[in-house]
Amino acid sequence: MVKENRNSDNTNKLTRDKRNNTVTNSKIPRRRFLQATGASTAVALAGCTGGDDDTIRLGALYIFSGFASLYGDEAEQGFEMAAEEINENGGINDQELEIISRDTEAGADTGIRQMRSLIEEDDVDGLFGLDSSGVAQAIAPQVAEVQMPFMITHAATPFVTSPEGEHDNSVGNDYVFRNCNSLAQDIYGAALTAEELDAQEWATIGPDYAFGYETWDYFQAFCNGLGVDAEFTTEQYPALETSDYSPYINSVLDAEPDGVITPLWGADLTTFVSQADDSGWFDQIDYTLFSVGMGTDLPADGSPLPEGEHASTRYDPFVPDADANNTFRENYVEEYDGLPTYNAEGAYRAVYLYKEAIEAAGSSDPDDILSEFNGMEHSGPVGEYRFDERTNQATVPSIWGVVTQDSEYESNVLDPVNVYDAGPDELNAALEGSDLPSGV
Amino acid sequence: MILTNLVPLIGIADIIVGLSLGSRLFLIAVGLSLIFGVLGVLNFAHGGLYMLGAYFALAVTTSIVDNFWIAVVVGALAVGFVGVLIEVSTIRPLYERAESDLDQLIVTFGFVLILHEAVRFIWGSQPYSMDPPAVFDFSVQIGSQFNAYRLFVIVMAFFVMVGLWLFVNKTYFGSLVRGTSSDREMASMLGVDVSRLYTGVFFLGAFLAGLGGALSAPLQSMSPALGDQVIIDAFIVVVIGGLGSMSGAFVGAMFIGLLQSIGPQFIAAGHIAIPFLAMVLVLLFKPEGLFGGIGE
Repeated sequence: MVKENRNSDNTNKLTRDKRNNTVTNSKIPRRRFLQATGASTAVALAGCTGGDDDTIRLGALYIFSGFASLYGDEAEQGFEMAAEEINENGGINDQELEIISRDTEAGADTGIRQMRSLIEEDDVDGLFGLDSSGVAQAIAPQVAEVQMPFMITHAATPFVTSPEGEHDNSVGNDYVFRNCNSLAQDIYGAALTAEELDAQEWATIGPDYAFGYETWDYFQAFCNGLGVDAEFTTEQYPALETSDYSPYINSVLDAEPDGVITPLWGADLTTFVSQADDSGWFDQIDYTLFSVGMGTDLPADGSPLPEGEHASTRYDPFVPDADANNTFRENYVEEYDGLPTYNAEGAYRAVYLYKEAIEAAGSSDPDDILSEFNGMEHSGPVGEYRFDERTNQATVPSIWGVVTQDSEYESNVLDPVNVYDAGPDELNAALEGSDLPSGV
Repeated sequence: MILTNLVPLIGIADIIVGLSLGSRLFLIAVGLSLIFGVLGVLNFAHGGLYMLGAYFALAVTTSIVDNFWIAVVVGALAVGFVGVLIEVSTIRPLYERAESDLDQLIVTFGFVLILHEAVRFIWGSQPYSMDPPAVFDFSVQIGSQFNAYRLFVIVMAFFVMVGLWLFVNKTYFGSLVRGTSSDREMASMLGVDVSRLYTGVFFLGAFLAGLGGALSAPLQSMSPALGDQVIIDAFIVVVIGGLGSMSGAFVGAMFIGLLQSIGPQFIAAGHIAIPFLAMVLVLLFKPEGLFGGIGE
């Protein structure tokens, strides 16, 4: 057990259980351990007991171990900062806020188990998080089963905000929301970026699961829908945690595309970029679009993304140039000595979304929170946006730019940066003629 | 270039990458094969020993002395001694037990988990990388571009193969190894200290796995899962080459390495199954493997 004193007045002593990545306020007595084992029991208990003491509890599910643990670490910094700010300012409806985090280990089974544990044992009032599309796809139906609001802050698959029945893979439902942009919104910006580049032949190298395949499918669909002059050549899908990408790198290089879009992420992206550089990738491929790039780049040692390449982000620390964002960025830099990533901002904003929903409803009952979330208009560091009433997807923009080293923050940033409106109108029009749902 | 013209999809760089993948596979598979050929132990923990070699080399360069060559030697030797500890403390007591094959499997599988968790406990689950030695840290342009260190790993695997062949076939210790692998009881009656010989062979096998891990460290990212990834491929190699055969391990490793390198050219995903297909074919048509027993 590692105890760390976060506040000078010693009123909020945070205790971290490393095994569960649990951050709790030690002055708050643990709620009794519910012995419920079935989901239905859990629903009843969660619904009845939520908010019956002086604490609002939120459950956070992120990857805290393995190749993508940096995302969990970044998210933790975001939600800890939000929780501290909120508790210092009177909490939520005069109740203390407690956030309990769990490690999904990037696995669907573990993610589901941890989610049920948060509901049944920790009696949380709401859930947020998720880094992996695969995990999100598996958890979304479970969320509907336990009838608990879930604010996704990172996992990008459009199918979790595409209402069930819209497509064979759609699992969207009334309980799942997403406050960051989706793969569809992100790749819509990628197609618009490709349109501006002097590149005709495109290839991809992505992880060997839904996220890798969906990125390529949507990229082709958007290029076709937007009339981008593009041909699609090689596609490579190495397994997660591949230690040597050389065969895949050579395979792409042999096809000699003008541009490559890659949704590799986490440590896999760092490994890939290093080995691609050794293979002369950045000399031979004119343009590489990193669709998860900035989420890996900012917290990574040595900033893996090469300057001059294109990358996207779900949130840019300098966009919009507004008070709310500038204040958040500078507070974050002061607290953590680095620019906030989109995962930190997404987690930070999720906590405030719950705060505003619970305060507006005057209750932490899941149904009341859901009513507030549906169609909610909100403003945070990312700017002003709303949740689409049909899909529960935030209408945040797609942000793409050129990777540039910033001397002030000693970090890569996107400069110049392009902000594309990526709401339902834009995406649905671009996907017309495709069988892929926009999920927006 | 002739090959490139004949098979347009396959470049020289694909061959080099394939041979370098095969070289690291050989270093792990040959130890696995040697231990099985002499001791009759199917060492599941061999992947873990390979991983340990990479982490030990990393530890030496980051904490003791920033010299790649010292790190490789120290890493390989340290893994050799870990192998000795495993053999003496947990496998040796099982030799005399009747029907001990399953017990040995369970023990070595236990060490897969122990080594994995030990590395995770000490180094965490985040991946690490290691730079190649400065003398080989440059790009070579033959068809495509690749790091010169890959060529060094291939040459090293070849030297290890030749050295091992000479060691087993031309030295006194090698004759004891061959004799004991043929008939343990006869060797024992002739005065061979079989227990000590077994420990020596286990040390050699573990040393080779550690050497493979340390030498491969600059070509890949290191994580606790590294051993799990390579052990399956190593088993495929020894099945194709023939359990107990060094030359079989060499040929099998290079074959699998080339398949892994060239496979992505033809199949976007799922080419990971190609080596398994090759293994199935060998098992169907030449179940003893392509080569014979120890010393072959």
